[in-house]
This record gives sequence, structure tokens and C-alpha cells, in this order.
Amino acid sequence: MKVTTNADRLARQVLAGEVWPPLADRHAYRVGPDGQPFLLPGMGGVTLGVHCGDPATGYASDHLEPGASIRHRDPGANMALQFLTCVGNQVLVVSGPAAGATGHVIGQHAYVLADFAEGDAADLATGDAVTVLAVGQGLALPDHPEVVVKNCDPGLLAAMPGGTRPDGRLEVHVAARVPAEAIGAGAGMASEYANTDLMGAYAGLGQDLSLGLEGLRIGDLVALADSDHRYGRGYRPGYLTIGVISTGQCLMFGHGPGPSTLLSGPASAFCLVDDLDANLARWLHPEVGP
Amino acid sequence: MTPAEAGSQAGPLRLVTVSLLGAVEHPALDGSPYRIDRDGRPYVPAGDGGIVLGLELGDSVFALDADHAAPGACLVHADPAARHALAAYACVGNEVRVRTGAAAGARGAVLGKRGEEGRVIAGFAPADLARLRPGDEVSVRARGQGWRPPGLPPEVAVMNLDPGILPALPISLPEAGTGTEAGAGTGVGTGTGAGTGTEAVTVGVRVTVPSRLAGNGIGRPAAAWDLDLQLPPPGPDGAGGPALSDPASGDPASSGIALGDLVAVSDLDVRYNMGYRRGWMTVGIVVHGASPQPGHGPGITPLLTGPAAALRVHADAAGHVGLTAAALRLQ
Repeated sequence: MKVTTNADRLARQVLAGEVWPPLADRHAYRVGPDGQPFLLPGMGGVTLGVHCGDPATGYASDHLEPGASIRHRDPGANMALQFLTCVGNQVLVVSGPAAGATGHVIGQHAYVLADFAEGDAADLATGDAVTVLAVGQGLALPDHPEVVVKNCDPGLLAAMPGGTRPDGRLEVHVAARVPAEAIGAGAGMASEYANTDLMGAYAGLGQDLSLGLEGLRIGDLVALADSDHRYGRGYRPGYLTIGVISTGQCLMFGHGPGPSTLLSGPASAFCLVDDLDANLARWLHPEVGP
Repeated sequence: MTPAEAGSQAGPLRLVTVSLLGAVEHPALDGSPYRIDRDGRPYVPAGDGGIVLGLELGDSVFALDADHAAPGACLVHADPAARHALAAYACVGNEVRVRTGAAAGARGAVLGKRGEEGRVIAGFAPADLARLRPGDEVSVRARGQGWRPPGLPPEVAVMNLDPGILPALPISLPEAGTGTEAGAGTGVGTGTGAGTGTEAVTVGVRVTVPSRLAGNGIGRPAAAWDLDLQLPPPGPDGAGGPALSDPASGDPASSGIALGDLVAVSDLDVRYNMGYRRGWMTVGIVVHGASPQPGHGPGITPLLTGPAAALRVHADAAGHVGLTAAALRLQ
């Protein structure tokens, strides 16, 4: 059965942001795992041609952010935008040639990341204003008190397969399982901000770097072993975190495709189902994807 | 001519010493006094930066109910870029000297560094530390970045280490290299001799922990950022609440880890940011104590990193001796 939630008690807030440019400094280069200097696009602005359901890796890119990257100019308002926005929230473009287009939030990465249909994304540019209909923080599962929900639009949870099983566990479909060794930059940070980079997905590099994660797709639901994201992000044997891959290819060492956190609790509270179709494109983004 | 070309013609490059200025940090909090611990409980973070009294090298990383407490005074700089430079260039063992305030003239040494905005942890004799006050100016005689001790296997990288402190650490180079500044500065050392690449540097450590325990600091530059180890508090009633680790995890016992210890992390490469690499080993020095925050814990400043075959570690949980106040002449 579908999981019971407190969705009808959640506040919905209208938030504002704008498409934010990529940021660089005059030194230009960063350094890859083997010391290779690189200068690669992907973070900030509007990244075209990569959507939910597409491979996360295999691009000449670093910290690839699919679609539009969004912030608010005021620092305090920006943190509210970053913390309150949830995966699955609707994003409406309100200025520029793409005005009227709608997309969905796919995660946070110090930017709010929103996926749009390719035609709409192509009309977006830095500075375009967007409205985010934020709802989801505070979402709770009364029948699963050990499971904490983060950054998850109630509509997304309702659309996902799985739910409460007869044995009381929460069934969640995941496209990939991630070992604790893969947890990279993001450990120790709040689980409502940015995401958790996964190492071991450096496509095309050496086997000594691989943890078998080169097949991840943008929008995949993944299970992070021994990760407790209930009150931040940390290693904890016997705990499990479910996230959605919101960023892609990285060359910077210790970084990689990253999940935004959705669910976290003791592993015993979950029943994982391996399902290659467990991807946002299937449930929330009929307008994008293959 | 690039520096590398100059080096290839003239032998090993000479080290540069830079005098840096730091100020003793005052702890800073946001509008709320609370942080959230790994079990969801709010706590007030005491000991996170600034001057911490009563904590010394050799004390357990779990000795205090504090957050990231370091044994000494943290040094910062008011300008963010200068602060990053202070953290990046300072090396473990560098001499520091107090320039202003009641402790003016006191001598200390760099014990380690912390990341994000950048902090240098400076150790002093207890009486000198007690006379320090936030805002006091402290100079740091920064020396060590770019150094390679003679005899170090070419696959192994060294960082954050004052050449003068090498003899005080349980690090054995494969041949005659003594680790003295003279050896590095004049090219007298024999580190480029044939066959050195097949021999390993050996390091005594308290414990080797698996890379899955690497927390805050992963993905960040090891020259300017420490690596927190998500070690479980000791014992079922240990500080910080229930043990993080269950026996089935295979994680090492952490109860004996002390400030100043050398600790190894397996499958971790920190040459170009800190990240997972199968078959590698990294050795760092424990520079601050535990933290209640998830993803945080006792922190190491990395010193050596290389393939495990070239960087061999010997763990001695009971007998290990790392960096001591005596070796730094802080007593």
C-alpha cells in the first residue's frame, strides 16, 4: 500500500530565484585524480542536453548540473530557497523568452537544480526569474517513525513505487546501491543543502578509482549503505539513506555524481527493490528524458 | 625558465621559508547557540576554535565533551585569502612566536591545521598558552611545502611537514636520508639514487582505519584542510552517546587514539584533493578531538600519501608514540 504521510498538513510557500551564472576565478584550472589540470563546464547557468534519465557520467564536464541552476541574490533568502526547496517541486519561469515554462526540481547542489524540457531550457539564460512552489520539508511517515524524510515533494513520494509492506517495512525501489567507500565531498554537511558526491564514478579513468558507479543516470534513486542523513550526513553502520542523483560527471578528485537526500533511517526499516526504472524521469518528468 | 626546468638543472630546489602573520582566533557562532548531534540532539559547541586550555598532545581524542577541540590556540587571519594562505603554507613543526599581548615573546609550534575557512593549530607550553588572548598576533615561520626528504620513494608524496620535525616522528626512510634540512637544501641527500623506488618508507601509526570512515575533508585539498575520521566513541557508555559502530562493521577500536598520534587511512589518496583510490595509504597526524556532529570526528592533517607498497604502516595500538610536546620543546 502507498505510504501514509502528513502531506495535507504541510505548508506551501512561494519562493523566488533566478538562473545563476557559472562562477570561476582567474586561475581557471582545477586538478583531477591523477594531477591532470582541467577546465570544464557544467556547474551553474543552464546546462543543455542532459536530463533525468540520461547518463550521469561520460561528459567532458565537472560537477555537471543538468538544466537550470538557481539561487536568490539575498544571502538569507538564498539559504531559505536552498533549504525549503524539495525534489519534485514545480518551477515556473516568469521572465525572459521561456516565461511560462514549467520544470521540476531534481535536487540541491548549493544551487537549486531544475530540469526543463530541452526546448524550454534552450530559451533560458542567466538572470531569468523563476518561482519555486516549495513544499515537502516536514513531510513525515507516521507508520515509519524511524525513517526521516528530507527534501521530498509529497507528490514525488506518492508517485514512487513501493510503500508500506505487510511486514511494516518501507519498500523503496532503487536503481543502484552505493557502498560507504564511495561517499565523497559533502560528508559532514547538512542534508538539506548541496548533495553527497559519490567517488568511484570517474568514467574512463583507472580501475583503482572505480567503485562500479559509472552507470548512474541523472534522476536515479540510489541507496547509500551505512549512511545516516537524519541530522546531517555521516557514516553509521546499519543505517541507510535514499537519494536521487541530481548532479553528474566530475573530474575533481573526491567528487562525483551526487544524490540529494530523500529518506534516511535504520536499514532494518527499509525493503529495497532493485529496479533500473527507479528514476525521476519515470514519475515526474514526462516532458523530458529519452 | 620554469621552476621545474631550473630544478632539473640545479638539483633539488631549495626550500623557502615564509614568515606569516596569524591572529589568535576567537570562537564564532551563528545566531543560534545550537548544533545538532548525530542522534538529533541539540548541543552548544564548546572548544571549536580559539584557545583551548587543559588539552595536550597525548590526551585522548575523546578526553573532552567538546567539538573539534585542539590542544592549543587556533590562528587565523582577518582577510579570507590571507587566511587560506596561512593554512596552506604552515606545516606541522613550524616555529611560531607570539608578537603582542601578555605572552609576547613566547615560542610555540604548529601542531596541525583545519580546513574550510582555514585555521592553524599552534601548541605552546601550558603557562604560555594560559597567557594568550584572542586577537594576539603570532608569527609563523612557514617552511615545508615543496619539500621531499632524501630517500623518499618517488611514488610517495609528503606535505604539511617541517623538515626539522621528521626525526621526531616514527618515519623510517629506506636509506641514508636523514630528513634534515641540509639534505633537502643542498642536494647532498641520495634520494635520487638508483633503486630507491623499490624500497618503501615505513611509518609507525596508532591504527589504520578504512577510508569509509573518512568524513568532512574528503574531496578537499589536503594542504589546507584536515580530514575528520568518523570514529565511534569508545565503549557503550562513551562520550557522545551510543557507540556509532557495531561489531559487525569491522571498524577499528578508536579508544586509544591520542592527539599527536600518527594514524593511517587505507585506500585514500590525498595528492590532489582527498579521495578514494584502491591500494593507497595516507598517514596523518591527529590534530583535534572528536565532534558530536555527523560526518565529523577527530581530525588528521595528512603528511604522507602513496601506494601501500611504497608507504608501509605498522600499527601499534598500545605502544605508538607520535608527536610529543617534548619533541617540540613545548614543556
